[in-house]
Amino acid sequence: MSTTPLVHVVDDDPSMRAALRRLLDAAGFEVRGYSSTGEFLLQPLPDRPGCLILDMRLPGPSGLELQTALQQRNIMLPVVFLTGHANVTASVQAMKAGAVDFLTKPVKREVLLDAVQRALARDAVQRTAREEADRLRVRFASLTQRQREVFDRIVAGKLNKQIADELSIAERTVKREREQVMAKLDASSAADLGRLAELLQRSAGK
Amino acid sequence: MAHALLIALVLVCVAMPLHAAEEDEHVLMLYGLDPYLAPFLVMDKAVRESVAGGEGARAIFFSESLDSQRFAMERLEPELVALLAKKYSALHIEVVVAVSRTALDFFVQHGERIWPGARVVYVGFLGYEFKPSALPPGASAVLSILDVAGTIDIARRLQPDAHRIVVVCGVSEIDKQAERQAREALAKLDAQVPVEFLSGLPLPELVPRVAAEPPDSIVIYLTQFRDRDGRPYEPHDVLRAIVKTSRAPVYGAAETLIGLGVVAGSVASYESRGRLIGEQVRRALAGGPTDPKHVMLAAPNRCVADARALQRWSLGERRLPSDCEIRFKDVPIWHRYWWQIALTLAIVAAQATLIAALLSQRRRRRLAEQAEQAHRASLAHASRLAVAGELTGAIAHEINQPLGAILSNADAGDLLLDSGVDRRNELRAILADIRRDDLRASEVIQRLRDLLGKQKFERKELDLNDVVNDLESILRAEARRRGVGLEIRPAPETLAIMGDRVQIQQVLINLVLNAMDAVVELPEARRTVVVSVAKGAGGAVLAVRDRGRGIAPEHRAKLFESFFSTKPSGMGLGLSITRTIVEAHGGRIRAESGPEDGTVFQVELPLTIATGASSPHPA
Repeated sequence: MSTTPLVHVVDDDPSMRAALRRLLDAAGFEVRGYSSTGEFLLQPLPDRPGCLILDMRLPGPSGLELQTALQQRNIMLPVVFLTGHANVTASVQAMKAGAVDFLTKPVKREVLLDAVQRALARDAVQRTAREEADRLRVRFASLTQRQREVFDRIVAGKLNKQIADELSIAERTVKREREQVMAKLDASSAADLGRLAELLQRSAGK
Repeated sequence: MAHALLIALVLVCVAMPLHAAEEDEHVLMLYGLDPYLAPFLVMDKAVRESVAGGEGARAIFFSESLDSQRFAMERLEPELVALLAKKYSALHIEVVVAVSRTALDFFVQHGERIWPGARVVYVGFLGYEFKPSALPPGASAVLSILDVAGTIDIARRLQPDAHRIVVVCGVSEIDKQAERQAREALAKLDAQVPVEFLSGLPLPELVPRVAAEPPDSIVIYLTQFRDRDGRPYEPHDVLRAIVKTSRAPVYGAAETLIGLGVVAGSVASYESRGRLIGEQVRRALAGGPTDPKHVMLAAPNRCVADARALQRWSLGERRLPSDCEIRFKDVPIWHRYWWQIALTLAIVAAQATLIAALLSQRRRRRLAEQAEQAHRASLAHASRLAVAGELTGAIAHEINQPLGAILSNADAGDLLLDSGVDRRNELRAILADIRRDDLRASEVIQRLRDLLGKQKFERKELDLNDVVNDLESILRAEARRRGVGLEIRPAPETLAIMGDRVQIQQVLINLVLNAMDAVVELPEARRTVVVSVAKGAGGAVLAVRDRGRGIAPEHRAKLFESFFSTKPSGMGLGLSITRTIVEAHGGRIRAESGPEDGTVFQVELPLTIATGASSPHPA
């Protein structure tokens, strides 16, 4: 897996596409250009860091429609909009849908590269979070039935004694299971466990 | 057979005058002398006019000439009489006008045989040994006077210091009578001025003889029909010859001599004499009293002078009698042609007024036309600005696209230079792209300036395809912005029209935006606008078709009216301006609409004459 970030450019104007490709290339990115939404969706998306520079107005489905489509497919590629003519409605819609930025042509190099950097940073964060959640799920899967019951109750803020009463087991047994859970999930405190629970819940909701 | 008939018909026609209708009356002009002498021509014309002008039956004129000055009558007379008797045997002559004494004598002698029952009007000079007793019964006479005395009197007024009087005359019978009169008149002259008669000198002798006269002599020309050698002359020719070289002023006593070079004379008017004769002829035809014989004098002689001759011999006009008529004087043109000039001036003035009125009318009309055109142009301009507002997004997109590419290319070039690696080819490609995009952007701006600028109405030859091509990118951008499909179908051939490019573009924009408005809310399959250019029967046709809901029947009538709109924010100017523009270009616009088929707006513009089936593109 290459570590060079891959920037996707969707713009129907060949001249604009070529210029962006040159600029991003010179700035050290790998670039792929597409002339329409459909062309982008038809290409297989490699699993590597990257972002998407997207024109609003495109022949066929628009940039906004592509953004929606990606979200529906659970493709978390950060989007930077770059359009010839911005209007308020479209920009609000784009930002609400999670766009990194909404830029208008002509765009200054620093502004564009900054947006691309931010998009890549977000991509990196998202990737890390996704990897952490994956790891956490693997660990969580190694818990026994009893250990999961104990985990749920710790996260709910209950004391060892209350847990022992609820599960009708000895308080000492609860204490032992708790240490097992902490070790398996690599947590150091009850608060730590709460954060993990939240993370798990969020990634499960996806 | 047909020939024989024709000849018979011709013969009948030729014979007709001799058996003329009963009511016609017949007058014979019988000349003793050559009837073509100048005085007779004037007189004859007046006689005929006078007779024709009177009441009563139509008079038919005949004329005979004895020409007794040049032919010996006594030798010809028997045959001539016989001939004339035969000639007039079938024709009844009512009146014979006998001009000169010879003619009268001939009539008296032979009239009863040749023209039985004819009455005679004698025309002659008083004192030519004429006695009223010589006239036959029922005759009348019109006599005039050869006023030699009066002529000499005029001559002496003009030349009081004259030393000599020279009289030129011939030797024929008439010449001699004139000479006798002159001698009588001169005899009465009390002044002691020597007088010399040059009678019957042959012309080659006469001319130098007169020319030798000193300027202070008086030359009187009478008549010269014949010289002493028997050579005949036209009397006027003799006068012309001597006047040409004479240093002394020449005078004459006949009206027709005035104008041929003589200074002046006491003359009788031949025309008034002719009229008088005419009256007598009418009187005779009417059967006036036959006795006593009617003798009357022609109008009295008057002094008539020739201004040119006066000037030639430096004679003072003031010395002439006050009632003297001076002919050939250079009267001011205004006096001679006053009414013609006035009429011409009036016509010229009327024409000038008319032209001025027409010019001013034309000017007013042109001003009104200009005002109307300016008004239309400013309305159209306002409407274009409104349309531009609608197109802002598309326009910004069209401009920002190349600008964005330029900036990014420049930035890329910058980065490439910073990298230190030699990527000259890539840099060159970047520069080429920048140049191309720059031109693209400026082209868009130029077209916008053309469209939005407030320029004058300019008629030029255009290809309708080009007008559409120019707007294609902006219209496409707008179509994309609205999510509407746009199809453009140009004509395969050049369609040359005369018109204002911007206004035609405006027509296109208005129609296309209207069509997009019509389809924008429809399902995607119907969201398409088709623009087509084609050659139709009546010219170039620009059609804009949509698949919208069509025009409501109740809106059709008001479709092209100002301030009529079905859109919530519409001004209602688009279609009315569109129609105004189309009609100003001599074209027509019409809309066809059905609920399922959508609407087609068709603009028909006249092709220029040059547009053939495949004329070359007009640059």
